[in-house]
Amino acid sequence: MTEMLKGTLEGIVLAILATRPAYGYEITAWLRDQGFSDIAEGTVYALLVRIERRGLVDVEKVPSEKGPPRKVYSLNDRGRAYLDEFWTTWGFLAERLGRLREGGE
Amino acid sequence: MDTGSNEPKKRYQRYLEAVTGPFDDKRRWRQYKARVRALPENYRAAVEALERYLMHFGPGDGAEAASMFEDIADLFEHAAADGTPIREIFGENPVEFVEAFLQNYSSGSYVRRERERFADAVARAAGETPGDDERAVR
Repeated sequence: MTEMLKGTLEGIVLAILATRPAYGYEITAWLRDQGFSDIAEGTVYALLVRIERRGLVDVEKVPSEKGPPRKVYSLNDRGRAYLDEFWTTWGFLAERLGRLREGGE
Repeated sequence: MDTGSNEPKKRYQRYLEAVTGPFDDKRRWRQYKARVRALPENYRAAVEALERYLMHFGPGDGAEAASMFEDIADLFEHAAADGTPIREIFGENPVEFVEAFLQNYSSGSYVRRERERFADAVARAAGETPGDDERAVR
């Protein structure tokens, strides 16, 4: 996984959770579908542990047909505020890099 | 999974815990070990490799370590249930995964002490009061 993707993965996952609650495997599957094919499931899991410990998501344990109950993550108010911040940073970066690409001013 | 009660601990129990470490951490550790034993062979082997690494570099605090190993057990129980291949869990670079995972927990006392010492030394060299900057210390 490139360093750039690693730095934005947290924002990506929070943005996914802003659309609907999901469990870890669904998030990894979605990322793979979208072309982020070399993301390890463990890396996504490590990130989910992090955002849970930082209180950015609410977690509900839901029974599963196969295996133990799954943790379903949903974005809470703190997570939404954090995601807003991420988009602000992202906008800043994209705008500055865009300028650089066009030859600077 | 918190089944601990809030009743005050008996005196002999407090004494024993001072000698042997908290019972609750030990109980959580035994439960974790039982969960690992129940995993299919290759998942178990992967967890044992992780365990060795995390013992070296993970938290020194018993409760924090117990949470960390419970999170590992959660991950691998689901992976086994879903049939996720080992390589898809770890990715091409297993060290990258384990380091990202470790960042979620407090560092071991040795690592933390050296980070504090380092950050304090830089603060002194910069003419600041050491200990004001908590950024480097986790």
